[in-house]
Amino acid sequence: MEQRKAAILAELPRLRRYSRALLRDPDAADDLVQDCLERALRRLDNWQTDEKPRRWLFTIMHNLFIDQTRRTRRRAEVVTLTLDDSEAVSAPAEQHESIATREIMDALQEIRPDRRAAILLVGLEGFSYAEAATLLGVPAGTLMSRVSRGREELRGLLDDFSRRRVVKVVER
Amino acid sequence: MSRRVYTERDIHMALDGELPADELPGYEAWLDANPDMKARSVRFEADRARLRQTFADALTEPVPERLERLVIGEPVGSSAGGGTWRMAAAAVLLLSLGVSAGYLAGIAGRHGEPAEEVLAGEAIAAHTIFAAEKRHAVEVGGDDREHLLGWLSNRIGLTLVAPDLADDGFELVGGRLLPAGNNRAALLLYEDAEGNRISVFVMAEKAGTAKGTYKLASDGPSAIYWLDEGYACAIVGNLPQERLSKVAGSAYRQLLAGAGKV
Repeated sequence: MEQRKAAILAELPRLRRYSRALLRDPDAADDLVQDCLERALRRLDNWQTDEKPRRWLFTIMHNLFIDQTRRTRRRAEVVTLTLDDSEAVSAPAEQHESIATREIMDALQEIRPDRRAAILLVGLEGFSYAEAATLLGVPAGTLMSRVSRGREELRGLLDDFSRRRVVKVVER
Repeated sequence: MSRRVYTERDIHMALDGELPADELPGYEAWLDANPDMKARSVRFEADRARLRQTFADALTEPVPERLERLVIGEPVGSSAGGGTWRMAAAAVLLLSLGVSAGYLAGIAGRHGEPAEEVLAGEAIAAHTIFAAEKRHAVEVGGDDREHLLGWLSNRIGLTLVAPDLADDGFELVGGRLLPAGNNRAALLLYEDAEGNRISVFVMAEKAGTAKGTYKLASDGPSAIYWLDEGYACAIVGNLPQERLSKVAGSAYRQLLAGAGKV
């Protein structure tokens, strides 16, 4: 059992990185990691020893993330949980962010959650297509189209941001 | 060498190391013959580098203690012993995030809304109605604190304390008992020197675990709520988000400590 816990501890930095890239807000990201750990610890007995801890934990966290985005979306239908709120909350952190960093983070938030997850698992976390597809529970072809569409979207958003930046500079 | 046709999909496969080694020379030749595709490949690679750079710190910075403790410390499967980290979590949480919650037993049957939405909605409604009342905002004044808290604690079935929010500039005005579905809730009202008011809304509720921020209208008051271990509370006010979060965190810590939940 202790060995398993040590394996989980070793994955914490990666879980935090992935969560932060998914959610942007660092506190919300750590809360997601925490929920993931709770669930993992409750299910420690179900963990197949031949399954890599990384994939097991990322699968748990991904499922929690999807639950969460569904809930947020449903709430958004009745409620104006405005972007301004999240911006206000994360404002102090933003002061330390460079424009490049902020633009990547903002762009990711505008990409559909399933595509966002795909480009992050593959491009940031280095999972193979086969691993990422298993983790997300989708066929490999679906994963590949999410990766290519997600990257295409990211490129377009980053271009938009830099154009807007140029326009702002010109206006002054 | 394979003579297959390459497409944009291969750019991603090559970038992600998914292209078989024997196809790489053909792929490279295709890129050289198609400057557009080559530019695209360079661009995707650069974007990926930016992405990795952006989140590189997360791998090197120290992991918060609460997360490590959770893995090492708590007995597996125990939900009763979770007070310590919940306390730590309460200090930092701000945004909507939730474990799948059940439905508020006390306010059940209302369009099947999730418990935390009902809780936050009730708290905002109560705040909107009573915080606006200059003279009849509360039933028992803050000057009779002992009576107020004893009475409310008995009625809602939880040990209620009045958080000391003086550090954030808020003084207790008083409190009142409110219906909340089939249940009862306590409302404590606070006011600062500028006349801004915030409500602390507390009730016993068994359904689920959740926490977050809720708002009914973009210019209306926000509720920061917690649902955990039979204890439901929401702090409501029309303050800048950062200030409200700070006050709410402080109030919640004191409420939990007072209720013996730590």
